[in-house]
Amino acid sequence: MRKWLVPAVMIGALTAAATSPAHAHKLKVFATAVGERIEGTVYFVGGGPARGARILVESTDGKPIEELTADDAGAFAITAKVRTDHVIVTDSADGHSARTIIPASLLPASLPLPASTLGTGAAEARVSTAPAAPQEGGTGDPAAMEASIAQAVARQVAPLREQLSAYEDRVRLRDVLGGFGYILGLAGLFAWLRARRPMGGGR
Amino acid sequence: MAHIPDGVLSAPVLIGAAAATAVGVAIALKRLDSDRIPQTAVLTAVFFVASLVHIPIGPTSVHPLLSGLMGLVLGWAAVPAVLVGLVLQAAFFGFGGITVLGVNTFNIALPALVIAAVIGPLLQTAVNPTRVALLGALAGAAGVVLTAVLVCLSLGFSAQEYRPALTIVLASYAPLAAVEAVLTAAAVSLLRRVKPELLSVGEARHA
Repeated sequence: MRKWLVPAVMIGALTAAATSPAHAHKLKVFATAVGERIEGTVYFVGGGPARGARILVESTDGKPIEELTADDAGAFAITAKVRTDHVIVTDSADGHSARTIIPASLLPASLPLPASTLGTGAAEARVSTAPAAPQEGGTGDPAAMEASIAQAVARQVAPLREQLSAYEDRVRLRDVLGGFGYILGLAGLFAWLRARRPMGGGR
Repeated sequence: MAHIPDGVLSAPVLIGAAAATAVGVAIALKRLDSDRIPQTAVLTAVFFVASLVHIPIGPTSVHPLLSGLMGLVLGWAAVPAVLVGLVLQAAFFGFGGITVLGVNTFNIALPALVIAAVIGPLLQTAVNPTRVALLGALAGAAGVVLTAVLVCLSLGFSAQEYRPALTIVLASYAPLAAVEAVLTAAAVSLLRRVKPELLSVGEARHA
């Protein structure tokens, strides 16, 4: 009967871990850009939204762009004013923190570039998109059309991105099994190293 | 919430705790008998998966720590058990991180050692099953409370801005302390009945 105890505990722990779908313990921020709007949520992986989490949006060089708090569903949204990388940093004030980046390439080309890069190559890049504008025919402004297509695609892709990020968070059974394997291996290694000494001395 | 992530704590806290943990692991490995390796490994495995049992409470979320149980069963061996468990949790689940390993190990293993030293001897002389269960409950709750205090100290010493929230963090551990009290009481009572030699026999032998 006693011999059953340890395997029973192990199996119990294993099934508990395997049957709980995504129980984990980590703060995460997810954000995506739809047009000029950057929307996102802050949540505990496997544990619901982080209500009222503080969110700081800054540029890659650490200059603050905007500061806000998440709502009751952990959601937040800002409107980008410049086409630059937006770093979104959050912390729940108790030591959990997370960050994510919305690269400039996800934001519409119609937004102004940051002041520091204007007048360099980046400015020419803007000009190169401009020649499309003059052909205002019956179909309307192609640049505007392009922007609206980009926005529609972004809206379609957003749930996919969210799903992908959630999939990444999932603790999979093979991770748990892998951990057990390491523990078993370490215990074996340690026991082996220990066992060699007295046996060698005995011979 | 015992998994403080990378990039939150200041360097002195990280280095100090890492040094303390290194010393603890060295002492523990020296004391670890070959015949106690299997039970150390089993409890490491249980600790490793316990972090997946997740209880959302208020603005934060908690999971069982098992430091009380590890202290009573493993004694000093709890230090490498916690360290290995945390390394694997960081690698497989992304909890905590590498630079904070020292702090997180310290915050969980020190309570285990305190419990082993204070409650362990009491438990060995206890005969009455109710007393055994109560000591188990005390160990479970004390493990959580001590870890909560150490987490708050780590955060408070690292940055001023965490201090206002620390009372909330402490309060959020209260339900977990209750859960762990029940869990540890049950585990200790069961072990006492079916396998009493598991409970801190090693400590008596080493002392």
